[in-house]
Amino acid sequence: MEERVLLSASHLCKKFRLDRKNSIYAVRDVSLDIYRGETLALVGESGCGKSTLARLLLRIIKADEGSVLFEGRDITGLSEKALLPYRKEMQMVFQDPASSLDPRMRIRDIIAEPLETWRIYDDRRKIDDRITELLEMVELNEDCLDRYPHQFSGGQKQRIGIARAIAAEPKLIVCDESVSALDVCVQAQILNLLKRLKDRLKLTCLFISHDLSVVSFIADRVCVMKNGAICEMDAAEKIYASPEHEYTKYLLSSIPKLIF
Amino acid sequence: MNKDLLLEIKDLTVSVKRKKEAVPVVRGVDIDIPRGGIVGLVGESGCGKSMTAKSVNRILPPFAETTGGSILWHDSPGETTDLLKLKEKEIRKKCGTEIAMVFQEPMTSLNPMMRVGDQIREVLKIHKIEKDPAVSKERVVKMLGAVGIPQPELRYNSWPHELSGGMRQRVMIAMAMICSPKLLIADEATTAVDVTIEAQILDLIRDMCHASHMSALVITHNMGVVSAICDHVYVMYLGSIVEKAPVRELFTNPLHPYTRGLLSSIPRIGNNPEYLETIPGNIPVVRKPFSGCDFCMRCSDDVRKCFMESPEMREAGNDHYVRCHTALTGPDPGESKGTE
Repeated sequence: MEERVLLSASHLCKKFRLDRKNSIYAVRDVSLDIYRGETLALVGESGCGKSTLARLLLRIIKADEGSVLFEGRDITGLSEKALLPYRKEMQMVFQDPASSLDPRMRIRDIIAEPLETWRIYDDRRKIDDRITELLEMVELNEDCLDRYPHQFSGGQKQRIGIARAIAAEPKLIVCDESVSALDVCVQAQILNLLKRLKDRLKLTCLFISHDLSVVSFIADRVCVMKNGAICEMDAAEKIYASPEHEYTKYLLSSIPKLIF
Repeated sequence: MNKDLLLEIKDLTVSVKRKKEAVPVVRGVDIDIPRGGIVGLVGESGCGKSMTAKSVNRILPPFAETTGGSILWHDSPGETTDLLKLKEKEIRKKCGTEIAMVFQEPMTSLNPMMRVGDQIREVLKIHKIEKDPAVSKERVVKMLGAVGIPQPELRYNSWPHELSGGMRQRVMIAMAMICSPKLLIADEATTAVDVTIEAQILDLIRDMCHASHMSALVITHNMGVVSAICDHVYVMYLGSIVEKAPVRELFTNPLHPYTRGLLSSIPRIGNNPEYLETIPGNIPVVRKPFSGCDFCMRCSDDVRKCFMESPEMREAGNDHYVRCHTALTGPDPGESKGTE
């Protein structure tokens, strides 16, 4: 039987030097577990350390203290080379769809790149089949394969980014403000897409956002951060219905409400 | 109409030059801004919101120009000037003293090489409102305090990079307000800041409007912002106004299918469906002259008339206007194309 916890972090700390004397804790003593198949949302205002925490969990940057366990194995101290197999299991969808796709690559190559990097298929035809399947998953037409990123709208680019992230069948995807730069209608389309994919592929997802309404739609559990530390972490319904921490209450009361 | 209007945008058309041809991006927009009222202009990116706002104080980018209509400024109920016909020098004088604008990006709209206090004081100097440096400095410090910046005397000497995004946006508002303008145009002023700061800045704009009888044109894509501070809302789609109504009326009784789609695609806390409703399709890119309704390709009401003729703005009562063939009558069964 597989373990329930996919990724587990304990007592993570990350300090950034400001100048010779001063430094700032971007993440301080954070412990959390991400369960298989769940969507954990990380919310907080800008500068609270959400993205730094995500990068620590993926081992994109090294933690000063604490450890990260992926499927029970400690990946904190691994070298870049030893990390490679884990890289395939953790993929990211970024905020700005325009700058996260290589402008000189065709869509076909962008989506094929992870498949080729991890040598998932040895046959060119299998790669093509997989690309077709991925396009269907993110609801794009096949005729877009030979076009370049600049020929697409923001929402379509974000779909391409998602196709690339799920191409190698990762165990964890991290969406760092993936819908923040999109218009409401497009945002709704992408949110629906993420939710459908989550159900279909049983994705485990770490969803970073500053928008509590968006989070309420997609998240199973919510983790509220402030000044690099977690102030409250609980099931989404619980957080929204009866927030316990003062800061969570403050965040919830600040959202401009729709009257009706 | 017995309304005391400050600004009347009438039949405004803005075109963008592209490869020798002019593409209209704002088409026949009418907006009324009453004295002391807060008017919201909402729509998706690319619908022409900013172009409309920028034509008011005539800061359109070089590739765009106003090709028709008028923007009437009522100094007092008998005195009217058309802002589009003013000379460059006259409009520059008006902007800053009577019309002020706050932009989306507080990072790029401040001069990084100048202390924030001096930047605000520059406005007073350029418009020759206050010549005495000591007095103008005092006025700036007072203004910084008024927009909620703690320790305004110290902050006067700060550099823009030393301030957070929210603080910078406050500085921008202070700069806009220093000449006590009659109209504040806030172009996505809170889009780049956090919710907690956003709430504070919206409160600030509303308080300032009430305190000094200022009017505001709030441009945003966030329906929450609109419902928080606006009195009246205009919904814009593909360069024209598709619906206008008082704020409560619009939210309780949205008539245009586009407005309804916009509202239903917002995730709501405590009331979320399995999947969000979305408007099918994308915003059409090519804007060839088209005789039908702009929205007909994405609309759920499938009526032949929508493909044939462009709807006029019609009144639906309660000061509510909508540009749609079917919103008021419902789709006529005799005219349906028979797909259902």
